[in-house]
Amino acid sequence: MSERTTIDARGAFCPGPLMELIAALKMRQIGDEVEVLSSDKGSVTDIPEWCKKVKHECISVDEKTGYWSVLVRKAK
Amino acid sequence: MSNALYILLCSGEHEKIQMAGMMASVAAVSERPVEVFVSMNALLAFANGMQPAERYHGGEFSEVMCAKNAPDAIKLFQSGKEFGDLKMWACSMALDVKGWEMSHLEKDLFDGPGGLTKFLSDAENGQLITV
Repeated sequence: MSERTTIDARGAFCPGPLMELIAALKMRQIGDEVEVLSSDKGSVTDIPEWCKKVKHECISVDEKTGYWSVLVRKAK
Repeated sequence: MSNALYILLCSGEHEKIQMAGMMASVAAVSERPVEVFVSMNALLAFANGMQPAERYHGGEFSEVMCAKNAPDAIKLFQSGKEFGDLKMWACSMALDVKGWEMSHLEKDLFDGPGGLTKFLSDAENGQLITV
């Protein structure tokens, strides 16, 4: 059964949120989801682009109040 | 031509070292092989055991990055090595001129001393950026 974890990377500057996501994904199983909360505007485009490049799945990017939630599924 | 990225890092300016660390780490975690050759004043920033205020010297952005806790450049290189294919070489000439051994540099960051000729030769097969 897949699990979902949340990383609060709000306040971290580029490429901090991406690095935190990568560190978290490394510890998860295929199919698990990691939600990154980020106040870094670059994460909105950078994380989906990184997922596309390395073949993980970016499920959603949602704007919240003053930050974004980016949901990623570990695909390999 | 491979997609490998080669970064020749010479500047001791914090802003340029930071940018090199960002490029190296992001490229490495994006499954792109990266090699960094560190020479001249840049090498001084990689001395082991220094506090950020002692390690980094630069202009306005250096001050802002330190004040706002932007990711530490050394840690960015470390992340690139941990999560990707990132190799770092300390310029053998710069080491010799300074009278430094590899033990003067941050631990577990460099893959060894290196020569410019070999680095440039390898870089012919990829993209070379000088900072």
